[in-house]
Amino acid sequence: MSLTSLDPRVTRLNLPEGEAPAIEPKPELDQFETYEVFHQKKEGAAYTYVGPVHAPNEEVAFLFAKEQYSRRAACTGMWIARTEHIQVTPYAGDGENVYDMVRAQDPTEQSEQPEPYEIFHLKKRGKAHTHAGRVMATSYQEALQEARNQYGDKGPIVNVWVVMSKHVLQSAEEDKDMWTTIPEKKYREAIAYKVMDKITKYKEEHKTTAS
Amino acid sequence: MYGGGNVFEATKFDDLQTEDPVKLAEFEARIARGEKIEPNDWMPQLYRKQLIRMIEQHAHSEIIGALPEGTWITRAPGFRRKMAQMAKVQDEVGHAQLLYSAAETLGKTREQMLTDLINGKSKYSNVFNYPAFTWADSNIISWLIDAGAIVNQMANAKGSYGPYSRALERICAEEAFHLKYGHDAVVHMATGTPKQREMIQAALNRWWPPIMTFFGPSDKMSTHTETLMRWKVKMASNDECRQQFLDMYVPKIWELGLTVPDPNLKKNMETGQWEYTEPDWDEFKRVINGDGPCNAERLAVRRTAEERGAWVRRALLNPKAKYVRPLA
Ligand SMILES: [Fe+2]
Ligand SMILES: [Fe+2]
Ligand SMILES: [Fe+2]
Repeated sequence: MSLTSLDPRVTRLNLPEGEAPAIEPKPELDQFETYEVFHQKKEGAAYTYVGPVHAPNEEVAFLFAKEQYSRRAACTGMWIARTEHIQVTPYAGDGENVYDMVRAQDPTEQSEQPEPYEIFHLKKRGKAHTHAGRVMATSYQEALQEARNQYGDKGPIVNVWVVMSKHVLQSAEEDKDMWTTIPEKKYREAIAYKVMDKITKYKEEHKTTAS
Repeated sequence: MYGGGNVFEATKFDDLQTEDPVKLAEFEARIARGEKIEPNDWMPQLYRKQLIRMIEQHAHSEIIGALPEGTWITRAPGFRRKMAQMAKVQDEVGHAQLLYSAAETLGKTREQMLTDLINGKSKYSNVFNYPAFTWADSNIISWLIDAGAIVNQMANAKGSYGPYSRALERICAEEAFHLKYGHDAVVHMATGTPKQREMIQAALNRWWPPIMTFFGPSDKMSTHTETLMRWKVKMASNDECRQQFLDMYVPKIWELGLTVPDPNLKKNMETGQWEYTEPDWDEFKRVINGDGPCNAERLAVRRTAEERGAWVRRALLNPKAKYVRPLA
């Protein structure tokens, strides 16, 4: 006997009925590695962290990110970077500045020529990291020191992310129209549902029966 | 979507004696100041375990919760409703992704969570072990189950763990559409033909008992619960959530001339509390432990999807990939 469901699509799967044996634990990376996603809410705004996606490669990560983080909210641009490529400082407390706590460190790896790095700041715990700017450096450690010199005095900063610009996949300026939402999608907005009219009409018509 | 139903049991990590007292004091002071905890912070074992459990169950509830409504996409009456139902179901699956990632920051991988879901080791909201017989059932889920979920999610968004709060803020924004969409669908049926009214009333009758269990049994007030409330893991008691839900939605059900199938349901004007027939917690326990009308089907569907997609994932896997926890 196979499983019969109220859903004809499930019935057609011909699944065995009854208890199934436990599955083997999923292998590591069955769900791929993660990418961190940043979006731009409107033209000219700083890129802001929105969350991670799991994906097998950069291209798919970009598609998943677009689906997950721009489907329901205004967006004019998106950046993604492999989690592995982002260096994270310790977290300071709210109101503190983490740049005051991190000491200059020797580079673990160094390039011959200075390269661009993107710097992201978290201003308050629980909020999202936002893009502070780009610095030129020969290592992550040097990039952090540069960031401190250039942006380190801008009020409380509880955490910093540093990532080499070449590791950030950025949506292209000429592909801008991919972010425009077609107006026919109003059915997924709360304001498209005006129930009060129907309820009022119903109540009017049933005044005698309603108590 | 998600219901309490979420019983916070004592665990072996309950004993805070084993925690470093200085770090514990710092951690508690941070929460007391209203600061959020971020993934790299020191945290007590109990905090980590309970949050993983809670966020994981929430994620599973979203992904399994998409199934009863997903059933009705192909048979939704009319193109606009089909599009809206599809958008809602897609949102729910998206919620699962956000939540799995939030749980992952605490150290449990998505692979482990999915394995535990399929093997019945982790739970999801018990209401999804009941079937959606008709389109009207789907409407009741869209409206009232989501309404319950929103009560929960709004409370939890104020919790102390940064990644969970961030995910919930995003989720709550999308839930506004779910709630309006569900309400609109129910109003349409309730103000329609006698047959439509009959269908929506029947669906409400079927769903009311599970809805009343949605927030879980009354919490036993123990030191354990107190600790989790102090740490802003548990933000409101199950009864508080249930009362809030009844306050907000019973009047909206009644104004449509629908009947709630509980003769004892009324608001006590002196206490300001709703009184109701105690839900059948024995049935709740039986169903959550596997013996419900749809448990087997829900897990079989999830399992099949995982198994049939496995070769695609294997083929796509970059051999140089390396697992790193998501950052925030
Ligand atoms: Fe939901
Ligand atoms: Fe949801
Ligand atoms: Fe929802």
